[in-house]
Amino acid sequence: MNTKNNKIAAIPAEVPQQVAAHNAGDISLHASKLSLALEGKNILRNISFSLPAQGINILIGPSGAGKSTLLRCLNLLHTDWCGELRIMGHHARCWPEGEDGLRRTIGLIAQKPTLFPCSIQQNIVFGLSRTERNHMPENRIEKVLKQAALWDEVKNRLHDQAATLSVGQQQRLCIARALMLSPKMLLLDEPTASLDPRSRQFIEASLLELAQNMPVLCVTHDIEQAKRLGGQIIFMCEGRLIESGDSKSFFKHPNRIESREFLQWSVCDCS
Amino acid sequence: MLNLWMRTSALISLIVVVLMLGFLLQQSWPYWQHDGLSPLLSGDWYPYEHLFGLAAAIIGSFWAALIALAIAIPTGLAAAVMSTEILSGPWRSLMRSGMELLAGIPSVVYGLLGLWILLPFLQSNLHLLTGHNLLAAGLLLSIMVLPTIMVMTQDALCEVSIHQRDTAASLGMGWSTRLWRVLLPQAWPGIRSGILLALGRALGETMAVMLVVGSMDRIPDPWYNLLAPAQTLTSRIGREIGESAFGSMHFSALMACGLLLALITITISMLAHIRTDKVKT
Repeated sequence: MNTKNNKIAAIPAEVPQQVAAHNAGDISLHASKLSLALEGKNILRNISFSLPAQGINILIGPSGAGKSTLLRCLNLLHTDWCGELRIMGHHARCWPEGEDGLRRTIGLIAQKPTLFPCSIQQNIVFGLSRTERNHMPENRIEKVLKQAALWDEVKNRLHDQAATLSVGQQQRLCIARALMLSPKMLLLDEPTASLDPRSRQFIEASLLELAQNMPVLCVTHDIEQAKRLGGQIIFMCEGRLIESGDSKSFFKHPNRIESREFLQWSVCDCS
Repeated sequence: MLNLWMRTSALISLIVVVLMLGFLLQQSWPYWQHDGLSPLLSGDWYPYEHLFGLAAAIIGSFWAALIALAIAIPTGLAAAVMSTEILSGPWRSLMRSGMELLAGIPSVVYGLLGLWILLPFLQSNLHLLTGHNLLAAGLLLSIMVLPTIMVMTQDALCEVSIHQRDTAASLGMGWSTRLWRVLLPQAWPGIRSGILLALGRALGETMAVMLVVGSMDRIPDPWYNLLAPAQTLTSRIGREIGESAFGSMHFSALMACGLLLALITITISMLAHIRTDKVKT
């Protein structure tokens, strides 16, 4: 694993000092020895990695690898992890605006699009306070909907119930809602699972565009999607970070036997 | 087979309700025939002078129910929010068990506790001639309907999906914002059902109210005087049905009270069920 060339470095637990190889200004998130046990079971074990200031990052691994749990830890939806998590230079637990402020900075989009029972427009501004809504620029909604590649489909029906949208549109609406808070980083948990190819294409295109301005960490267990999105790969299995690196080299020459096993069979045995 | 059994049971229940309403209407018919709907507006209830105005009891019933709900709604909501959102598992179960126990206590026990504790308390602290009044009835009813509101609210809050909770949290909403903007609006149909069921119980409660309300057949003067002894539909029936001769106008008037009460509570229950069904859908 060549950490000098890779923007993301999977850092073995025993050598966390390798993080220093990165320029601190280029790193938006750095996790060191992140571990989490739920109900006596180790879900995450000494996960260490860094995310650069922009670009797409794919968190890949078989089901049950701990990918979604890791995202929830990064967003502080799980708080009882141990280890160190630094986001934009700050300790996550000591974020200046508190946990809620941190969650606004890191947008999290769940696998299942979850909308509130109100109109499309109300859903988009749902995360904003009343003051923020009142002082919002007029074209803000249009802007985020365009970023989420949804504007053309909903521009004439912003006051319709959000539930009338297709699942693919709902997922893009969730992305728009997260973008409305001007996040500095975007975490997505299998955003295209169970979507049709067209919706998947829309979402992948918008993710690639968003990744030009901020780090995007996208969970998937779809190897083909990971190849399409490119960027950097973080491969997890059974709560451990097995390998990470540039997507082309990862798919062409995986270093670890677990990675090769996963790429070939979509399963791996890390126990 | 199960379906048929359930349909038959539902049909039997419906027939029983219709028969009950029919019986009340038949027994109260001489009363309605004699005075029409005018007694609904009259507060005079003097059986020996054949004056059977229902207004005092109707107003008394609604005042007592209103006081009960005014106290039980905020308390029940707060208790439900605390037990579902703040307390951990064992404490939550303990609180729910406590509420269920509270719901299971016979109403006459509440009435006796009201007589022994509440009435002397009100009398001495508010410097009243007697503690028997609408406030006492309302306070007692509020304790009796509290479990209904609390348990229904608790169930409604538990039904708010974890996805919606997580989504709200991941949008950076603080706990109180999530409560006001996500949890309570989502749970509102269930909460409303709880409130309507509690209202039905408050209006229909007899024994406890009868022991503390004072049974004074007149409209409170002024109308907002809650510290005056008063009467409710249920306490009037409970107190006087034994004294009235079967088939007399007095008996007929009491049956009219029963009919009114049945119609009001059935309507409220139906509204609550309609809301609950919509929530389930």
